[in-house]
Amino acid sequence: MNNKHLFSSYDLLPNTWDEMYSIDSDIRSQYDIINEYLRSTSPEILFKKEELSKQLFMNQGVTFTVYNNNEGIEKIFPFDIVPRILTAFEWEKIDKGIKQRIKALNLFIKDIYHDQFIINDGIIPAELIYSCPNFLRQMKGVKVPHDIYVHIAGVDLIRNNDGEFYVLEDNLRTPSGVSYMLENREISKRIFPGVLSKNQIRPVANYPNLLYNKLKELSDQNDPNIVLLTPGIYNSAYYEHTTLARLMGIELVEGSDLVVKDHFVFMKTTNGLKRVDVIYRRVDDEFLDPLEFNASSTLGVAGIMAAYRKGNVNIVNAPGTGIADDKAIYIYVPDMIKYYLEEDPILKNIETYQLGKPDEYDHVAKHIKDMVIKKTDGSGGYGMLMGHEASDEEIKDYLENVRKNPDNFIAQPILRLSTAPCCIDGKLSPRCIDLRPFALSGKDGIDITPGGLTRVALKKGSLVVNSSQGGGSKDTWVIQ
Amino acid sequence: MLSRVANNLIWLDRYMERGNGILSLLKVNFYANQDSPELFSWSPIIKNYTRADNTFYTEDAIECIDFMVFNINNPNSILNIVTKARENARSVQEHISKELWLCINSYYLFLTKKDLREKLKEEDPLVFLDNLLDFHLKFYGNIEITLERGPAYFFMTIGKYLERVLQISDFTAMKLIEIAKTSDSLEQSFYWKNLLLSIGGYQLYLKKHKSSFKEDHIITMIFQDTLFPRSVYYCINKLNRHVNLLIETGELEKNNIEFLLGKLESTIKYTTIDSINDQGLDNFIKGIKEDIKNISFSINTVYFSNVN
Repeated sequence: MNNKHLFSSYDLLPNTWDEMYSIDSDIRSQYDIINEYLRSTSPEILFKKEELSKQLFMNQGVTFTVYNNNEGIEKIFPFDIVPRILTAFEWEKIDKGIKQRIKALNLFIKDIYHDQFIINDGIIPAELIYSCPNFLRQMKGVKVPHDIYVHIAGVDLIRNNDGEFYVLEDNLRTPSGVSYMLENREISKRIFPGVLSKNQIRPVANYPNLLYNKLKELSDQNDPNIVLLTPGIYNSAYYEHTTLARLMGIELVEGSDLVVKDHFVFMKTTNGLKRVDVIYRRVDDEFLDPLEFNASSTLGVAGIMAAYRKGNVNIVNAPGTGIADDKAIYIYVPDMIKYYLEEDPILKNIETYQLGKPDEYDHVAKHIKDMVIKKTDGSGGYGMLMGHEASDEEIKDYLENVRKNPDNFIAQPILRLSTAPCCIDGKLSPRCIDLRPFALSGKDGIDITPGGLTRVALKKGSLVVNSSQGGGSKDTWVIQ
Repeated sequence: MLSRVANNLIWLDRYMERGNGILSLLKVNFYANQDSPELFSWSPIIKNYTRADNTFYTEDAIECIDFMVFNINNPNSILNIVTKARENARSVQEHISKELWLCINSYYLFLTKKDLREKLKEEDPLVFLDNLLDFHLKFYGNIEITLERGPAYFFMTIGKYLERVLQISDFTAMKLIEIAKTSDSLEQSFYWKNLLLSIGGYQLYLKKHKSSFKEDHIITMIFQDTLFPRSVYYCINKLNRHVNLLIETGELEKNNIEFLLGKLESTIKYTTIDSINDQGLDNFIKGIKEDIKNISFSINTVYFSNVN
């Protein structure tokens, strides 16, 4: 059976790298495996597989709840069955590049909260650091185990039309999505039985074990009590929190389950208080300790920062890592790599303009139709201006707003996110994608699970891959 | 174990047990209502499971089942109960088996399917209720074969039997009110038979006492039988055992809960049917309910709120 229909209308986007087709419309060799499979599968079976994947997500409760008129509606994050495939060569560069970056960023965070050599040597201006909302004075001089601040990072990469991977964001606070990396792979195994093993696709299932070991080595206790701190069931990533806790075999706790006594953190059990040694927190810095940050927060634990500073508990990622993934600091990451490691960056940054600098502001204003402007402390794809889509009116209003506080804004040229084939209405169509590999740092180095989460902008022509704005995801295969 | 987790495990099982009881009650009443609608009306069931300010009453079987299964303003509708059970299960996933989570989740998805409510109007109502009851059987089976016999299991079991004792007491009290309204002994025997059916003890009763409905025999079976899994004694005995298992495994500290349970267990075991009749069955039930509420309250305060 030959499924011609599926390939009948694959219109490459102009000036855009496609993951499957080369410029000459030849299929790149890494996609042979899936091509063969797709071509020999009838549209009906493919449709059934899509339905199966939705059913699997639903049945397992890989969902988030949208509340409407008191009724909770279960939704799944859309999943596209066609995997995104990377060659071993491509992966090697990503792997090395992220490791280099995380290493430098860790050194940077340590430096900022201690000696501040990088400021004294004039690489990064002091005002920039101190004006950054994610800089935590409470972390100054705090010694952390093995000098590691960022234990878990989810670096966002995009592939530009030159075929190179660029770093979009570093995500060093509480990056999410790793459960989808794991779950997507489980679904792939069901949808494409035998294909993964036959083609020696690198496994991802090891992630929870790796993470557990990294958390464990932070404590000097023989059998440390490690917990995952969640904001609770109404958090959109709650599914991820329960999954990781289950896969690691650790306790899932909420702020109200913990209490600090004599600068130690305890959890409230049926048999009294039990000491907690390591906390993998999925609660943002701001809500971590009502005594030191947001006083109205009920998600955190009063006194936890004091216990942390005394070294009586470990918090992962360390508080204050947000200083290093701020969009204004991002510009300096290549300089950091040179400064701390004396190396050239392996992965490139996206050209970024600081709107606080008059000449750069002028350049951006002149080329506004080709620019995207972002707030330096924004995330989730909100508060952006996409120059090519905005009306003159919108641009005028936005720039007016920028001029009030230009230091809080950066601009980047509108990127050509690479496209990958997605199964849409029974046909393959190109859709924009990015890639978020997950890196784990420990005392013996950095481990990156091969692949990661590929996010997809499912709307035709859209560049926004965020799950909150119509994005979906794909499994990511790295060939041995 | 975390106090919150233990509490959620107890409530997970309590909700599922309550759902099972309500569905059984609806099923039995539907049957009985076909024969004699004047004896087996729907209002007492609605009254028992809704808040004091509820104004919705119906004598239409389908309307009642719809209200008891789907109405989101009814706190004990199956939909609300299963939603809460699922929320509890979701928050303790690392303590229960994956199979058990999938089972509860599939029940929730089944209930929230768009066309299910419509089906109630078209399908045979007993088939409809049986389909829901099947999820409870799967739930029980899943616990039996996938859950390790550790603290999570013990706490869930406590939830199950707490709820079951309260349900048996409620069902009996409900029937006693009806029985008191009539002096016709045939009608009374209908009520007793119906009670046995609602708690699933009819067959056992026939096996033991043949087809002669003697009040004393029925009361003894419902309250004191040692082998019938829905007798009050059986439930208290299980509660007692599992509280003790938690103490033995170091999950609970020894305190007066086991004393209260032990005392209740012997009271039920050694009270004669004559003395139950002397004090009146309704008073006897009241006493049991009071004790169970105290025990449940103690579990809450001792282990779940005052842990500092």
